[in-house]
Amino acid sequence: MKLFLQILLIVSSVLLVLLVLLHRGRGGGLSSLFGGGMQSSLSGSSVVEKNLDRLTLFCAAVWLISIVGIGLLVKLG
Amino acid sequence: MLGAFRSALATPDLRRKILFTLGIVVVYRLGATLPAPGVSFANVKKCAAAVDQQGIYQLINLFSGGALLQLSIFALGIMPYITASIIIQLLTVVIPRFEQLKKEGQGGQNKLTQYTRYLTIALAILQSTGVVALATRGQLFPNCQDPVIPEQGTFNLIVLVVTMTAGTGVIMWLGEIITEKGIGNGMSILIFTGIAARIPAEGSNIWTKGPLTFTAICLVGLAIIASVVFVEQGQRRIPVQYAKRMIGRRMYGGTSTYLPLKVNQAGVIPVIFASSLLYLPDLVSRLAGSSTTPSGWQRFVQTYLSQQSSWVHILAYFALIIFFTYFYVGITFNPDERADEMKKFGGFIPGIRPGRPTSEYLKFVLGRITLPGSIYLGIIAILPNMFLDITGQGQNQNFPFGGTAVLIMVGVGLDTVKQIESQLMQRNYEGFLR
Repeated sequence: MKLFLQILLIVSSVLLVLLVLLHRGRGGGLSSLFGGGMQSSLSGSSVVEKNLDRLTLFCAAVWLISIVGIGLLVKLG
Repeated sequence: MLGAFRSALATPDLRRKILFTLGIVVVYRLGATLPAPGVSFANVKKCAAAVDQQGIYQLINLFSGGALLQLSIFALGIMPYITASIIIQLLTVVIPRFEQLKKEGQGGQNKLTQYTRYLTIALAILQSTGVVALATRGQLFPNCQDPVIPEQGTFNLIVLVVTMTAGTGVIMWLGEIITEKGIGNGMSILIFTGIAARIPAEGSNIWTKGPLTFTAICLVGLAIIASVVFVEQGQRRIPVQYAKRMIGRRMYGGTSTYLPLKVNQAGVIPVIFASSLLYLPDLVSRLAGSSTTPSGWQRFVQTYLSQQSSWVHILAYFALIIFFTYFYVGITFNPDERADEMKKFGGFIPGIRPGRPTSEYLKFVLGRITLPGSIYLGIIAILPNMFLDITGQGQNQNFPFGGTAVLIMVGVGLDTVKQIESQLMQRNYEGFLR
């Protein structure tokens, strides 16, 4: 059970990183980090972004569940 | 002030944005307390209480909101992203292709952001491996006997590293969706949250020294915050006159505006640079030699450089901050470019010729105005070193009423309030800042 969860965790982690990288960057770099810098441009999210958001959310949920699951197994076992 | 809050919450659009941001912040804080798989939560608790926080991890711990020393799934916090963006920013000076991208406008900027994100993940893998290695060897908590990670099989460690890396990815995503759908710059709001989350703990730490000290420190803290706001808002406005010109039948220009030069143009970045550079000798001396028979330079580093109350440390820190302020302003603000732009659009500073004289004038003003800015940064940053007997050795950067923490908090706070204000202005409401 634990091994299964761990493998699930690795798979979902890798997927999660890939999905996050697929998003369009909105950070704007460091110049806008601590004051200064321009406001982000106004552009609505496209359909692709919306679906990507959904997928990422799903992946994050799986990731979180497997982390909590492993934690519970360690604590109870 | 309160009325402005009410009207901000009364606007449905703005209310949704603010609530969204708060929701993400809650998710971030929850993740920062959730221990990573394979980490013994009980042992970490015991160790974190025993450890004095002197050392190399201080700054990283600050940026992760204390998540690092809990070895949570968000242990690395926002630090990989900050490091990555600093590296990319510095590389724009070195690599011609990056400089070209930076000049290209929005498209190029997006590409640079994308590079920053790739680099963030790469750095996250490196740093999580480092943290896990330190934790398994017991160096993360030097004075602690209990094993932080009970099962040290290779597979378990790989799971840990992968999880922390993904955690960094998630933080990056959270920051981005705040920027996109919420209020303010997501990354800086997450940093703000991490720092603000430490205030109660630090406050109770000070409270143990007696209520009188506590009140005094609170008053001093308020004064510092007020002065930081004062300087952060300060700017020199260089008047710029635009010539009138006819294009077709329309008249353009003829307006007079100003070019704002902030007193503290560099923000908090010099402080971050300087403190991470000051930790290097400490790190090297720890890695290089045995602690029982330190050689001459190691003894020097240990007694002077890494000791926060010694004047060598304070002076070096101060000098480094002044240097980096000039350095960073030099990178980010290019007078030649600005003068060129002005000339292109028919603008000039009254009394000064366009072109090279303008750029020289800008350089001159910037050099003069950066001096008080850099001294101010240095003073704010070394201020907590003066209070060491009250806050305890090693709490320097974590001390919430001075140093990096206040600079970041005030900077981010001002920025966010300004954004809410501009949103309110669109709807003709009275803002926070008058």
